[in-house]
Amino acid sequence: MAQLQANDLTLAYDKVTIVDELSLDIPTGEVTIVVGANGCGKSTLLRALSRLLKPAGGKVLLDGQDIHTKPAKEVAKTLGLLPQSPTAPDGITARELISRGRYPHQGLFKRFSAEDEAAVNRALELTGTMELADRAVDELSGGQRQRVWIAMALAQETELLLLDEPTTFLDVAHQLEVLDVISELNRTRGITVVIVLHDLNLAARYADHLVALREGKIYAAGHPNEVVTERTVKDVFGMPSRVIPDPVAGTPLVLPIGRHRVLRTENVLAAQGIVRSPEFVELTKSAVKQEPTVADELQTPVLAPQEVEPAQLRPGAEHLATLAYQCMVMRTQDLTPAFRRITVGGTDLSHFGTNSHSLDMRIKLLLPPAGGSALTEEIAALRPEALSSPAGQEGWYRRWLSIDPSSRGYMRTYTVRAFREVGHRDNLGDTAELDIDFVMHGQVVNGALQGGPATEFADRAQVGDELLLLGPNRALSDETYGGIEFRPGGARRVVLAGDETAAPAICAILEALPANVTGHALIEVPDTDDILGASTRSGVSVQWLTRGTNEHGVLLAAAVKDVVAIPAAGAVHTDADPEDIDIDEQILWETGAAESAPFYAWIAGEAGMVKELRRYLVREAGINRKQVAFMGYWRRGKTEN
Amino acid sequence: MSSKEITSTTSGLEANKPTRAAARSHRVHRSVLWMALAIVVTALAYLFWGRDRLPAVEVLQVLGGEKVPGTSFIIMSDRLPRLAVGALAGAGLGISGALFQRWLGNPLASPDVIGVGYGASAAAVFAMIVLGYNDWKLNAFALAGGLLVAALIYWLSASGKRTGSRLILAGLAIGAMLQALIQYLLTQAQLNTASDVMHWLTGSLSSSNWDSALLLLVPLGTIAVFLLPFVLRQLKMLELGEDAAAALGLNVGWARVLLVFVAVAMGALPIAVTGPLAFVAFLAGPISAALTRGPINIPLAALTGATLVIVANFFAANLFADLSLPVGVITGAFGAPFLIWVLVRTNSTGSGG
Repeated sequence: MAQLQANDLTLAYDKVTIVDELSLDIPTGEVTIVVGANGCGKSTLLRALSRLLKPAGGKVLLDGQDIHTKPAKEVAKTLGLLPQSPTAPDGITARELISRGRYPHQGLFKRFSAEDEAAVNRALELTGTMELADRAVDELSGGQRQRVWIAMALAQETELLLLDEPTTFLDVAHQLEVLDVISELNRTRGITVVIVLHDLNLAARYADHLVALREGKIYAAGHPNEVVTERTVKDVFGMPSRVIPDPVAGTPLVLPIGRHRVLRTENVLAAQGIVRSPEFVELTKSAVKQEPTVADELQTPVLAPQEVEPAQLRPGAEHLATLAYQCMVMRTQDLTPAFRRITVGGTDLSHFGTNSHSLDMRIKLLLPPAGGSALTEEIAALRPEALSSPAGQEGWYRRWLSIDPSSRGYMRTYTVRAFREVGHRDNLGDTAELDIDFVMHGQVVNGALQGGPATEFADRAQVGDELLLLGPNRALSDETYGGIEFRPGGARRVVLAGDETAAPAICAILEALPANVTGHALIEVPDTDDILGASTRSGVSVQWLTRGTNEHGVLLAAAVKDVVAIPAAGAVHTDADPEDIDIDEQILWETGAAESAPFYAWIAGEAGMVKELRRYLVREAGINRKQVAFMGYWRRGKTEN
Repeated sequence: MSSKEITSTTSGLEANKPTRAAARSHRVHRSVLWMALAIVVTALAYLFWGRDRLPAVEVLQVLGGEKVPGTSFIIMSDRLPRLAVGALAGAGLGISGALFQRWLGNPLASPDVIGVGYGASAAAVFAMIVLGYNDWKLNAFALAGGLLVAALIYWLSASGKRTGSRLILAGLAIGAMLQALIQYLLTQAQLNTASDVMHWLTGSLSSSNWDSALLLLVPLGTIAVFLLPFVLRQLKMLELGEDAAAALGLNVGWARVLLVFVAVAMGALPIAVTGPLAFVAFLAGPISAALTRGPINIPLAALTGATLVIVANFFAANLFADLSLPVGVITGAFGAPFLIWVLVRTNSTGSGG
């Protein structure tokens, strides 16, 4: 079989260098596809490979011999080329055109022989153009015409076939038709094929060997799976993209990212030059052993300047489900003596969200230590733009916990009372913002409230104060995000029960519940002053219980027992005693996921109270534990770190 | 030559059902026959009814080899040489035009439209009036002039690309300049009659004699026998586009040079003798293509060119009783509307300039 190689090939038109010292081995018997941006020199390369262009430097070797030292007709017997836009003479029939492919095999005076005739018939057969043979070429459809041209190149009966953009100006069905014909020829007759193609996805699908050209040099070469990566696409075509497996062919599929009509996350990532599959360098190196590629040189300038270790570090926004958001206090508002609403905002929050409902979305507040900052190394690495690697992020929480609280501050879980993106009708700021309702526990000492760190933070919060929080990364989160524990599934009847610490969450859930849900919301608050406005369009009836001098949780337990009655004996299996949890040592946190049950209960608040309610609901009322979420937010008399 | 061209285009002929190519080759053969017949009939008619009516008996006697005073002279020294020169010039111009038209894939790209004809004309006028030549040197000058203009137009229309429309526009401009030059040269000369002026402006057969017929026959025949077969073979590759031709193993540079040389020579040599017979080169190819409903067949275009000149010559002699028009006036009168038709048609199909 014929071997085609390029050695240090330099190609130039009028002293403008198009291809620069390029070396390439065309794999024999395979389909090689050359891709690259407009003007990268791919067509020029093809012209040089087919002897049409004399190189300014280097050589093209056909079977080891310089192609320009061979007579044109000799070359034309082993190497056929279909140029980009050949012209069919007016009125010529397909068979006449195809017959012209026999020119290199005909002598000066030799007439059209039986052998020529047979070759033409074979070409017609192989390209499925037999029935078009007698039609005028200018009457044919684009795809048919292109098949006829391929047949002409085939009638040349060469072992190598080079095609320059054979699918240009064809609709997608005809593009496939043409590429299928070429593929077929390669498979059945072992013809070595080189195609210049501009459609990257078709190239990835049809190539055995893909060559990506960039500014006249080979940027990457190898199997399409190795070559087609987001980084290659970015560097070769200057276009951000996502590369996913082609569900039809299994080859890489490039989805371009323009500036408009693209999901916001993709747009943001693209604008920042983020690629998701940067590992092509190693792959290419192993795939193209003998050839130096420019990939190595490009590596450094292509990556972001601050990135020292190549290909490993990526912005957190790209791979961390939970991000640290640097926010600033925008407004504070005293709702009741026990509740203070802090509204925070910040540009980081453009990454915030779960792309789903906002029912009970919990976040972690990082409350700074006295006179210090909560922005530790571990937390800084969680910022959306901070560069990190998934492996490096493992165990960050343990590392954070091991720091002395007086220098790292405290982490507290709070529910997002409301989240408003930029442009929301109630958001007048320039950035997304969220409301957090703080519960003010503690005693006033010398005019300042003393209590837990969150209480103290909320009490002293001023507009402009900074607040770090951990929350879902909207690029990577959906309704399964760990911070969402309200998972009613298909339940139509719900019970929401909790003390004042659960009140903001219950209010937020109520606001988001759909109209077809009924049930009860029971909220125990310290005083009548602390009853918050809670609106809902659902059928859930809301009951505020004021504790007054009662023991914490007593009123709530009674109310829950009222709305969830103990069923008649034998109706349900009731002695499923839940295993005991030492709420002073462990966190009581059980979340169910009621898939199809009609009832769902959500209990949150002080751990002792929640434990009591859990025992009642599971053991006495016989409710399946999967249908109840129990969350001990805090433990009386104990501060967490 | 003609049979070779015809048979090689019908290579796809299948035994039983007539294919499109076979049907077309049939039409080519039929058209050749009709053209030949038209030439013979018109030529005979012209021998009888030329500028003056000759008695039929005397004409037959002369054709039979007898000497008839007066009639013999008219037929042997005027009408027959005219027919010979007309047929040769028409064939040459037909081939020239058809080669250009097929190569560039555009009916407007004929030597009389793109100025190559005026180049030959101007050079011949210069050689005759300024240098006083009157023999084969005139032909050499016409050929050189044609080639020079062809090279100039090719260079003007930007190096090597098949930019048909630019080539035609450049040719039109050069042609207009050359016409002005010819007219200027003619004002400088001592010309005896208006017909001498017409000769160089529109072309005429009036000064034909056996010497000029021979002067045409030898070079045209030589080119047609030794060079044209190669050109035709290479043209089939060239008209696919230069890259495709090169990929098929054709030396495109040489093939192009040879084609331009043959095409210009075929047009310039007759012009040196008859002047620029208007529109013959332009008309022959498209007419033959219309007759065969296929690509321009070069041999048929030669025959068509010859027929055009012979028929025009007959009409020039007989259209007005008291006036003998130069042949070029007749071909021009028929050619101009045809040019308009081609322009309209190519514009509507989008294949024109």
